[in-house]
Parts: sequence; structure tokens; C-alpha cells
Amino acid sequence: MTEFAYVGKRLTKPDIYGKVTGEAKYTDDMTVPSMVEGRILASPHAHARILRIDTSKAAALPGVLCVLTHKDCPDSRFSRSTMAEALPEFAFTGERQDQYILTDKARYVGDWIAAVAAEDIYTAEAALELIEVEYELLPMILDPHKALEPGAPSVHDDVAGNIAFEMDHPFNSGDVDRAFAEAEAVVEFTGVNSRQKHLHLETDIAIAYHESDGRLVIISPSQGPHLAKKHLTKRVFPDLSDGDIRWLSPTIGGGFGARLALGVEPVAVLLARACKRPVRVTTTREEDFSGYSSRTDQHQTIRVAANKDGKLLAIEQIIVADSGAYLSHSATTATVNMQKTLGVLKCDNIRGHLTVAYTNTPTTSGFRGYGNPEGAFVFQQALDRLAEKIGMDPMEFRLKNLKVPGDPSCFVPVPLEHTKLEECIHLAAEKIGYKDKWQGWGVAKPGRYKRGIGMSVLTHASGAGGFLLEHSSCVMKVLSDGALNLIVSPCEMGQGIIGALAQVAAESSGLRYEQIRVSTGDTDVTMFDIGSHASRSMLVIGNAVAAAGVKIKEQIRDRAVALFAEHQVRVTPDQIEVRAGRITSDAAPGVAFDVAQVAYAAIYDFGSGGSQLNASGSYLSTSHHPNHQAAFAEVEVDTETGLVTVLNYVSAHDIGRAINPLLVEAQMEGSLVQGIGFALTEDFVIDPDTGRVLSDSLLTYRLPTTMDVPDMAHLLVEDPLEAGPFGAKGCGEAGLVNPAPAIANAIYDAIGVRIHSLPMAADKVLWALRHGEGAAPGGSRVSGQYL
Amino acid sequence: MKQIGTFRVNGKHCDAIIEPHMLLVDVIRDHIGLTGTKRACASGNCGACTVLADDQPICSCLTLAVTAQDRALETVEGLRSADGTLHPLQQAFIDHCAAQCGYCTAGMLMTAKALLDANPRPSREDVKRALSGNICRCTGYVKILDAVMDAAQKINAAREVAA
Ligand code: FES
Ligand code: FES
Repeated sequence: MTEFAYVGKRLTKPDIYGKVTGEAKYTDDMTVPSMVEGRILASPHAHARILRIDTSKAAALPGVLCVLTHKDCPDSRFSRSTMAEALPEFAFTGERQDQYILTDKARYVGDWIAAVAAEDIYTAEAALELIEVEYELLPMILDPHKALEPGAPSVHDDVAGNIAFEMDHPFNSGDVDRAFAEAEAVVEFTGVNSRQKHLHLETDIAIAYHESDGRLVIISPSQGPHLAKKHLTKRVFPDLSDGDIRWLSPTIGGGFGARLALGVEPVAVLLARACKRPVRVTTTREEDFSGYSSRTDQHQTIRVAANKDGKLLAIEQIIVADSGAYLSHSATTATVNMQKTLGVLKCDNIRGHLTVAYTNTPTTSGFRGYGNPEGAFVFQQALDRLAEKIGMDPMEFRLKNLKVPGDPSCFVPVPLEHTKLEECIHLAAEKIGYKDKWQGWGVAKPGRYKRGIGMSVLTHASGAGGFLLEHSSCVMKVLSDGALNLIVSPCEMGQGIIGALAQVAAESSGLRYEQIRVSTGDTDVTMFDIGSHASRSMLVIGNAVAAAGVKIKEQIRDRAVALFAEHQVRVTPDQIEVRAGRITSDAAPGVAFDVAQVAYAAIYDFGSGGSQLNASGSYLSTSHHPNHQAAFAEVEVDTETGLVTVLNYVSAHDIGRAINPLLVEAQMEGSLVQGIGFALTEDFVIDPDTGRVLSDSLLTYRLPTTMDVPDMAHLLVEDPLEAGPFGAKGCGEAGLVNPAPAIANAIYDAIGVRIHSLPMAADKVLWALRHGEGAAPGGSRVSGQYL
Repeated sequence: MKQIGTFRVNGKHCDAIIEPHMLLVDVIRDHIGLTGTKRACASGNCGACTVLADDQPICSCLTLAVTAQDRALETVEGLRSADGTLHPLQQAFIDHCAAQCGYCTAGMLMTAKALLDANPRPSREDVKRALSGNICRCTGYVKILDAVMDAAQKINAAREVAA
């Protein structure tokens, strides 16, 4: 195997120093001279038309600069999701443009009605209270199934039947009806996930101001500023064009997909343009809860069929997803659910159908896993149920139905090139001691505390080549001391991509890792990139960086020929090695130079033909390179309280190659604990009478704490992917897919009851234990309903 | 009613014009200019705003600034020693990759510091309990716990060498 200088090493990340010293600057840590504060008035009603809105009292308050309403907004509709800009025109049907910045008809409690800019935050908040709004209350619809019934109130006047989006699985295949008819075993499982909140600790925020040349600057924690800029100019403010905006995305206080949608940026721009002052718009934690961003709840019925020896014969998945008041990412997450869920195992007969319904609830969005955790929770339980029906070990059952290279991938038009899922299953099973712990179906466990083990497998994207515009470009230049300035646009929201790309840059260029200086987060400086999502950055940006690095290395080699010549050594460029900042050649043992010598001479060249070492790299992925993972969870259920405790969790990940195993492990640990929250406690609760979000604080929406961390191990199965930079695949999202289904299957193993909705909170488990699972089919809306 | 508040932060005196309703977190960030302390819930439920007041960790979002004037305050910016050397906790957070987005980090460090000052040899369980009021959405806590345990060990080892 090739010996790498940096790839594969557990190096710490360059941006962490500022985070432990408090020096890292997040949006809220920045001020712009003469900046004023913006706040937003939200609707208290789930569905209401504004009859009259009087802003005169608010505007008259000393210190208030402007008060804006729907009358002051551009007359163009947009979506919070910016993905339309990375999709080919034909795919826009899944990206409906359906909202204005401020609305004249509130479609959920929290919808934006008016915006204020004032000299300070206290005045801005006082002004909000002085805005008088007279509403005509409209009948509201909070349930997606009811929203689809004939005669249901319309959320959008121009959308019939509240159908926001509808489609068949794009890769329906085979003869599903025949397969079901001929199968020896058929089972069905119905389930729904909750609207998990991203809960990035940094709440939504944006600063907007004009520079002296009239250009607009936006500072906000965006996961994809280039795309957001295009979207903002094309859809939200069509009088502006791409070049009119400079978008700065500083240190980001957590993303998980939330920053993939527009947040308060349009309001900040609206206010800054109106009052001609720099404006910072902030939101509170409560507003974040009642706001626009959460996982989409997808109600699913999955039917699966097999023959006696465990061959999976058919899958059918019916999804009804609840977009909330506006479409945003909900159609695309439901589509991805179908792709990833139905695409993980080999099956010739597949049928899926999805309907996305508008309701008068907060808008949902994309969240780490982007549809995959939603689907896995239901599908992996359906698989277990099928394995039970034919009396087969659930692990054996999955192993029997694995895909091999050449089979259709989860993105069906593209064949699967690479998978190590089988190795992952064996490795993780071995580590957790599955053989000893799984005792067979229907074995009753004695005592109050019952233990169980369950598993789940996944496939996930490394970018969505062939579907999205998977394009990234970068530039690098070498400074006079041999440092490399890598100018690139991934968004570092904590995942560690800056460090991993620095490793790729150092490895491919031959420069020193410690001297890689990454510049990012400024659309005026960085080249195009569609943002950090879909576990794409490592593969797509990584390839762009690796390509540029190779060019730098070539330039160094070419120039180093002269250095060797000075030492009376004749070498050709291909005999020269550049590694970790040193230039050597096997042809001249004992002679070595520092890259800095070449770099310095290139810049401070008083002769002719000088030019700084520089290169650019681009990568456009047109293929799909899924990563895979197997995971096992061991749980203990207290049958007197219903409380589920995760004791142990082992995952094994088909990662291609880990550029930095420490960072991969960190991603897996973080997403597992987020997944445990998704599985067991995080409940987004909407009041069925008012549409108000009841779980609107960290007290009522329960996140995992240090006390909820189980024993865990995350194993890596490394086998380089040919298309990946140094063989790497993406991994950022995968860790959140398996926890809920693996825990659900383990709960069943422990107590013999299946839970059909997330979170599998103690009250729900207890109810199911006492009344049988059929009595608690679950809805994601009301917590405590089972007590 | 504006007044001049006098604070002692990281051993230095600083004056700030404050009003009675102002929260300590906002005064530290916006008036004293130490933005390392974060505000993430403003209701005492996440710990991001944790600072030390007379060596005790407090939520600066639940503390009125006026009431903190007579206390010795310490923020993340005060952890490094005067010559710039990182506190062992900071170094351990770097070594273990215990910060991802970093928004919880200042609060984690301050809570951990208070713990180690009071209990130099905590068990992992002690650390878990001490940090249970600090929410981290990114790391899954494992590396944070590793880092605090490691820092405790290093501090103790250094003490033994010195003694
Ligand atoms: S901001 Fe103070 S505890 Fe959350
Ligand atoms: S590192 Fe992001 S919240 Fe802890």
C-alpha cells in the first residue's frame, strides 16, 4: 500500500484552536459600524388572512428605522430550499417556489408577517408589539392525511387538494403485484418519524449591508453561500444579479442541513435595502422551534415479500409526507427516502409512491440523512418482521440480499461500483457479540429489565452526482515560505472538512500539512461550489483539491530541476519527489531542498518569467458513489416505566478510505448521539387545537446529554474507491440513519413489541407493552398522549 | 436607567454602561467585547453561556449583569495563561478533537474547569454528571469526556512533578 504523508493520519483540525480560545468569530460575534437590529413579527395563528395591518405606532417609536410588511416585499415567490438552482430545469417540479418573505396570509403559527429595524434590540422588540394586525381566522388543517381528504381547507389557494408534490418512485421496476402474489411470505409495517429539530446551538441570524460600491454583503451561517446567492438574486430579489452580492459565511455554529435552506437572510436584505443601514436580524431559541426547519415527518407503509430461503422478492413503499406550510426540502427528502430505503438491498420488484401534503404547521426541511433515517426506521423494521415470518436470523436475511458491484445502485440508472457492506456486517456483528446475544425470534426474557439486540444497514450518498449539479472548484497558491493557501468553499460547520481538505491538499501537492492555510466562506474569493450537504464535500471538493495539488507538485518538480543542477545533479522532473515540504530525488541521495526555496524564487524573481506557484482544480461528479454502514444496538427496556436505555452500539462503515480517521470517528459519534435523540426523546409537539409548537425550548424538547451516551465503537472498513480523492467516500450523514431502526429492532427483541412512531419515548413504549402495539400506531404530534 | 457597571473579568477591571434589565451574557459579549461566551437558549437550558463567578459555573444568561459586579468573573478568554500557553483543558480539547462547530465549547471548558478545580481526580461518571447541563449537538460528548479525563490526568501529573 502507498505510504502517505498525511492521508489516513489522525491529525487535529486547524479551525479548532479558535474554538477552544473563544477567538473563532461566528456571525453573532461580528458587528458592522452603524449596524442596527432587525426582528420579525410572527403570526400567532395557524391559518389567517390579514385584513388590516397598521404599522404607524411602531414606526413612530423613537429609534425605529423602518417597519415592513408584505406590501414592501418583491412580488416574486421563492422557496427556502436553494436546491432548485442545482437541479436541471426538468426537476423543478420538486422544488415549488411558494412563498414570499413576509406574507399576507399566515399559514402556520410563526409565519412571518412584518419586520422591524431599530437602533437597538430592545426598541426593535418594543416596536413589534406596537404593530396592529387584524386577522380573519381561516379553518386550519394540521394533519397531512386529513389535508389530502376532499373538502379540506386549502393551505395555498392555487394548489388543489393540498398536494404539494406527488410522484411514483422514479425507478419503479419489475412486476410488483405478481411478486407479492407468488411470494411465500408478505408483511407490512407502518410507521412515522417525528420532526426532529436540527438544534444547531447557534440560532438563525444574518447581517446585511451595502458596501461603498453599492454591492450587497450578506454575513450568515450558510451551508452553501454560492447557491444561496444565486437563489436570492434569481428568485427572491430578481432585480439583483449574481454579481451584486458578496456572501460571507463565517464560522458556523452547527448546520445538520438547516443552513441549506434560506433562513433570515431575505429579511435582513429587505430591511437593509429599506433603511440603508447595516442590519442584523436575530432570532430566539423559541423562534427557532416554531420556525421553518425540522426533519419532515414521513408517514409510510412498507410492504415486503420474500420466499422461504430469504430472497427479497418485492418492496412497496407508500409515503405521505407533511411539508408544513411551504414545500422547501420536503419533496426532495421524500424522494431520497425512496431511493436510499428501497435501494439498500437487492430486489427486482420495487414500487413506491409519495405524496407531500401542505398543512398549517411549520415548514419542514432537510436534516442530516435527508430522508434516509425516516425511511430506515420503517423499512428496517419491515425487514425484521419478514425475517421473523420466515424464521430466519435478521442478519442472515440481510446478508442474503446484499447488492454486489454491477447491481443497480440506490440511484438506479447508475450501477453500484463499490460496496463493502458485507464486511461491515460481519465486523460489527463480531465486535458486539451478536452471535451470543441474539437468541432467536420470540424468546421471552425474564425480569423487569429486558435486554435486546437489533441491527440495521444503510446506503447513503457521497454527493448526488447525476442528480444534482455536483460541481466544485478551488484555487491554490504557494506563499514565499512554502505555505499553501487553499481557497475553497466547503462550509465548516464542525464536521472537520477544512482539516480533511488540508490533508488532501498537502498530500497531493507535497507540501506540509501544518502550512496549509485555508481561506473559505467568501463568495468573492472562493470559486463555485454547491455547498456542504449530501455527504458530498469529501468526494467532490476533495477531488477538486487533489487535482489542483497535483498541478502544484508538477510546477515544483519542473522548477526543482534547476536546483538539482546547481548541485551538479542532472535529473528530470519525474525523478523528483515532493513530500511533506521536501524535495528529493532517488537519483541524488543526500541532496534535498525545502519547497520554500522554489516558492520564494518563483515570487521574488528579478529576472524574467516569474510567477507565483498556483493552480486551480475542478471536479464535476456525474456518478453516484454510495457509502454503506451496518450497525447493531443493544438496549435495555425497563418494563415498569417503558424507559429504553441504549447500552452499546457498534457500527462499521464502508468509507473507501478515511482521510482522517479521528474526524470520521467524531462524525459517527456525534451522529449516533443525535440518532439516539431521534430514536428515544426528541419530540416535536404541535398543539392539535391551535397549531402552536408546544416543545419550544430545550426543557420541553429533550436532547441527549452526557448521561445518555452509551458504550460505542465505530469501525472503518477501508477499501479505496477509485473515484474518490485518495479513495475516500463521504460519511457525514450516515451515522444518523441506523440508530433509530437498530434501536427499534432491539426493543422488539427485548420486549416483543414494535413501536411505530418516533420518538420511542417511555410513555409510548409503556403503552405498547400494556395495550399491544396495535393500540399505539402513533402520530408524531402529541407527546404524552399515551398516558 | 443607564448606569456604569464595574466588572472584574479574567482579572481585569472593566467598566460598561448597563441598564438594570441587561443580562450578564449580553454585557460580556456586547459591552465588554468578549464574544467567546455564547448565547444559545437564553433560558438556562444549554450551558453555552457558562462563565465562572468566584470559581462557580453560572449561566450568564440567567444572571442580571448588575448582580455580578462584585464577583470575580472568568470567561474562556481567561483560560490561557498570560504567555499564551493553553490551559490543559484547551490543549486536550484540541488533541481529542472535542470541538466540532465549537458553539458549546466555551461553556464546556468553563464547566470542566470548575469541576477539575474542585475535584482534581474525577471519575468518568463524575465528568458526565458535571457536564450534563451543557448541551452539545455535534460531538456526541465522547471526545469531550475523553478530553476532560485526559486534562485531569495531565494536570495531576504536572502537579506531582512540581511537588
Ligand atoms: S444560553 Fe445560557 S444556558 Fe443556554
Ligand atoms: S461542538 Fe457544536 S454544539 Fe458542541
